[in-house]
Amino acid sequence: MNIQYIKPILFFIPLAVIQLVIVPLISISNIAPNLVFVLIAYFTLRRGQIYGTILGFILGFLLDIISGGLIGAYMFSFTISAFIVGYFYGENKIDINVSTYFLLFILFICGSINSFLFAVVSSSNSNLSLFFMILEEGILHGFYTALFGLPIVIFHPKEGI
Amino acid sequence: MRKFLRRFVSDYKEYFQLIILSIISLSILAQNEKPAAKHLKSIALGNFALLNEITNSFVSIFKGDESRDDLRNENAHLMLELNRLQKYRAENEELRSMIAFKDTSTYPLIPAKIISKLITKTQGNYIVNKGSNYEIRKGMPVINDKGLVGLIMDVTENYSVVQNLYNSNLSIAVTLQRTNVDGILNYDGNNLIIKDIPTTYDVQIGDVIETSDFSSLFPPSIPVGKVLKKELNVLGLLHTITVMPFADISAANNLFIIKIIPSKQINQLEMNLIK
Repeated sequence: MNIQYIKPILFFIPLAVIQLVIVPLISISNIAPNLVFVLIAYFTLRRGQIYGTILGFILGFLLDIISGGLIGAYMFSFTISAFIVGYFYGENKIDINVSTYFLLFILFICGSINSFLFAVVSSSNSNLSLFFMILEEGILHGFYTALFGLPIVIFHPKEGI
Repeated sequence: MRKFLRRFVSDYKEYFQLIILSIISLSILAQNEKPAAKHLKSIALGNFALLNEITNSFVSIFKGDESRDDLRNENAHLMLELNRLQKYRAENEELRSMIAFKDTSTYPLIPAKIISKLITKTQGNYIVNKGSNYEIRKGMPVINDKGLVGLIMDVTENYSVVQNLYNSNLSIAVTLQRTNVDGILNYDGNNLIIKDIPTTYDVQIGDVIETSDFSSLFPPSIPVGKVLKKELNVLGLLHTITVMPFADISAANNLFIIKIIPSKQINQLEMNLIK
């Protein structure tokens, strides 16, 4: 595996533990932030679309196998949403993207898409309405996820991590 | 031509990459029940759950939720016993015979602690700290001291995955304790609901709902919840009943796995239905 993927995977391990153990304690009506997605979005905004898509695929796979959920669900949703995050990438816009409040906007939009896609592929209940999926599975999760971009905006180091 | 193709692939490589990775993800998604996928999940789950357990024990210091396991165990037994007695009373009032009424209070209970939760709106899962070492098998019902919580879906040596009531893939055969009206309980993403109950049936707000005799996954008479509201459908012939679970699914922490080994063949058929 390319060395540049090691660093996000090292960040992933504690984040995945927090996601599975601590995040449930701060969930509101089963709406919870996705910290792993914040990590993927951050690295995608720093290193580009192709890198981000592969990272989403790898971390999605890892999260699937350790969370006890369906293998492939996070893989698919992280891959697509990281690809969309990649559209915001620009070599000259890295600092603007990750250290301004624009990051929260990106996290909100792409986090909503990520949660929506996850719900679509992981739920076999055909009774769920599209409105429900978009609002409750998508937008609310995206909003909560975006809030966790705030520490990055506030404490983001000016030099590369 | 070759040059053109090379250039085409190079120009659109991110799209090709996306398509290939998406196809791989969806293919893996379709292979979830294959033994290789399960084996991989067991290894990863078993190893990573250890890390979760350590973190969880650290977190639980702040939650102040240690001990009292014996009391919880006793409470769970009493809950099953109480529900059984309530059922007896209802049946006596109706002068019904108690043929084939199984006693759920005698099943051994294995206490387990939730070490991690997968929080999504439709895919409620827990990982608990007991596995095949404690003779836990896939398909065993999971309760807490209030009522039914879910079902064991995957087992590793030391850990198990529990699919809880807030999982839209889980369907449970239930019955209204007072009137013996049967139905299928599902999670619609917001509420636990029982659909298509004829309006001619006697259903009251507050009626207790328990697992049905028809289910081979769950032993009968495990309390599930109570009727919160009933809504008429468009034609006015059928009700949709909203159920409030007795167990606080989101805040659950200590669980009990009912050590019941139901009929393998029927169990397998029902497990296939909820895959």
